[in-house]
Amino acid sequence: MAYLRLISQRLVMTVLTLWGLATLVFIMIKLIPGDEAQVAAGPGASPEQVASVAKRLGLDLPVLQQYLNFLLRMLRGDLGTSVVSSKPVLTELAAVLPSTIELMILASIIGTVIAFPMALVAATYRGKAFDGITRIIAVTGGAMPAFWLALMLQFFFGNVWRITPISGQHSFGISSPNVTGMPTLDALLAGDMVGFLDAMAYLILPAIVFAIPFAAQVFRLLRASLLGVLASDMMLPVRAKGASTSRMVLRHALPNSLLPTVSLMGVLIGGMVGGAILVETVFARRGVGSFLANSVALKDTYAVLGAVMFVGIAVCLVNLVADIITLMLDPRIRGAQFRAGAK
Amino acid sequence: MGVDTILTDGIVPAQVRRRPESLLQVDQLSIDIATRDANVRLVDNVSFGIGRGERVALVGESGSGKSVTAQALMRLNSRVKLSGRVQFDGTDLLSLSPRQMTAMRGQRMGMVFQDPMSSLDPLMTIGDQVAETLRIRGVSKREARQRALDVLDELKVERAAERLDSFPHEFSGGMRQRVVLAMALVGEPHLLIADEPTTALDVRVQERVLDLLDEISRRRSLAVLLITHDLGIVAGFADRVMVMYSGRIVEENEATLLFAEPQHPYTRGLLEAVPRADITVDRLRSISGAPPAPAARPSGCTFHPRCDHAMAVCTSVEPGETITPLGARVRCHLYGEG
Repeated sequence: MAYLRLISQRLVMTVLTLWGLATLVFIMIKLIPGDEAQVAAGPGASPEQVASVAKRLGLDLPVLQQYLNFLLRMLRGDLGTSVVSSKPVLTELAAVLPSTIELMILASIIGTVIAFPMALVAATYRGKAFDGITRIIAVTGGAMPAFWLALMLQFFFGNVWRITPISGQHSFGISSPNVTGMPTLDALLAGDMVGFLDAMAYLILPAIVFAIPFAAQVFRLLRASLLGVLASDMMLPVRAKGASTSRMVLRHALPNSLLPTVSLMGVLIGGMVGGAILVETVFARRGVGSFLANSVALKDTYAVLGAVMFVGIAVCLVNLVADIITLMLDPRIRGAQFRAGAK
Repeated sequence: MGVDTILTDGIVPAQVRRRPESLLQVDQLSIDIATRDANVRLVDNVSFGIGRGERVALVGESGSGKSVTAQALMRLNSRVKLSGRVQFDGTDLLSLSPRQMTAMRGQRMGMVFQDPMSSLDPLMTIGDQVAETLRIRGVSKREARQRALDVLDELKVERAAERLDSFPHEFSGGMRQRVVLAMALVGEPHLLIADEPTTALDVRVQERVLDLLDEISRRRSLAVLLITHDLGIVAGFADRVMVMYSGRIVEENEATLLFAEPQHPYTRGLLEAVPRADITVDRLRSISGAPPAPAARPSGCTFHPRCDHAMAVCTSVEPGETITPLGARVRCHLYGEG
């Protein structure tokens, strides 16, 4: 039962976190200067119109009542209505979310593909030249500010060498029918290789901006935990069995190092949703981040708060998934469930 | 002196005593570790042999260098520098390349470690961990699993077949130590090095594990080097005992003789410190002081500051090796050349 109990503990924590976030968003709505009804009704509305809007939105009710109504709306998935487009915020977010997810997935894949082999080789040859060089690269990569990195990539790849487009989603006229909302996947579904490569070319630079700090952090943690496991008592018997260094690293140190690494990856991927505000804006991409940035620019309060709520939910969910994966990787917890079931 | 006479009468002189065919021969083995300021000698010119099927105990306090010596025989610790010769089955282990040494481990020599709680990979099943020794040598998955099962059965792990797919945390300390033993034995080595194999276990489990080790070593005529600080567990197990103090072997003899007629004052002190059921004493004797750190060994005989029999010569001259009439190999001025 330990297994189920731990998962339900994580679930309860997630719900509590989201409740806290919703409360914070509600307080922000109340604290923002200006009359909410006035904002909702529009700048040119008459006092009668403002009053009727206030009544329609329940703004004449006591604050506590308003808070409960707000929570109920959140539970129903109603994140409010955009003042600019008059569409529900959720609908707008749902339209741009796949593009952000596509970016995050590619960034995580690139980051993992860079970090894992580097960490494995560095830990195997600890203290050797490769270890030193990769550590310097990791520190440098982790220290580069995202906005600077984005501009440099655009400058060199897009402007100087002209390998990739500078910004956007796909070239004019090359666009596959929208099925998933992810240009690369849509192109693949349509069997359009040209479209796929085109969308990929637009996607690669922003993905690299996310992937570099991601890889740097994952590399550092993975290398450190690999070395920790390799130095532990557990490895002496493995060595005494006649295991080669590569076997010790891959079969024993790596699985044992995966637990903390997956947790960190969850946190980092969650953080990407926040980082999307900058990256998507710089690369002029559709997405949750650029939606949020645009809403701020347009002073669309409900859209901003709805998007904040949405980003918070996304971060919590990614962390929850990482936690559950971590729990499932560990037989000490996984096994507890089976034994309870056998009784 | 009654006991002495009985034991010394009819003792075959050491030189002509029948010894089993040599399996391991350690000559002038020294182990150094480079620290930031200096080179520290952990083990100093140690020589000994182990015959086929012979059970030898290496006894000493913690810090005496016994575990370092044990690990050196399999070259497990890559941070220390080894010099001298370690002949195993006709091969000089210290001259092998790291790759050749890897091939020796597990197959020709196995090793068991002190703490079964931390000796196993928590994420790998028992069956896979035992079979790994064979899988490394390219034995098929199926055969390796079967042989792992056979060894676990031999070690009397109950319901071994069902438990092959269990994880270490589902086993008790004694059971885990059997699994660790199985990992070392499944490759059918000629020599098993057991480094404090029962120290982390409670007394009754200790006894059972030692009995198993005894039984298996007899059945397979497996040579065992038992490293321990506990003379109590040595008595019923070992054919021969070596006593180590501060990186040197100070006394070596057949187990029965060493227990009956300890020669070196340190050995005597150790034996007097073992509680016995057959004698009532008011207070258990102990050796005063603590063993020296390897970096700060006293001059002459390293034991002299703690020795009741210390003479002037002990503080300046390191005693050489002497063979006493009882066949003990001793390093002590009490048995000097004169």
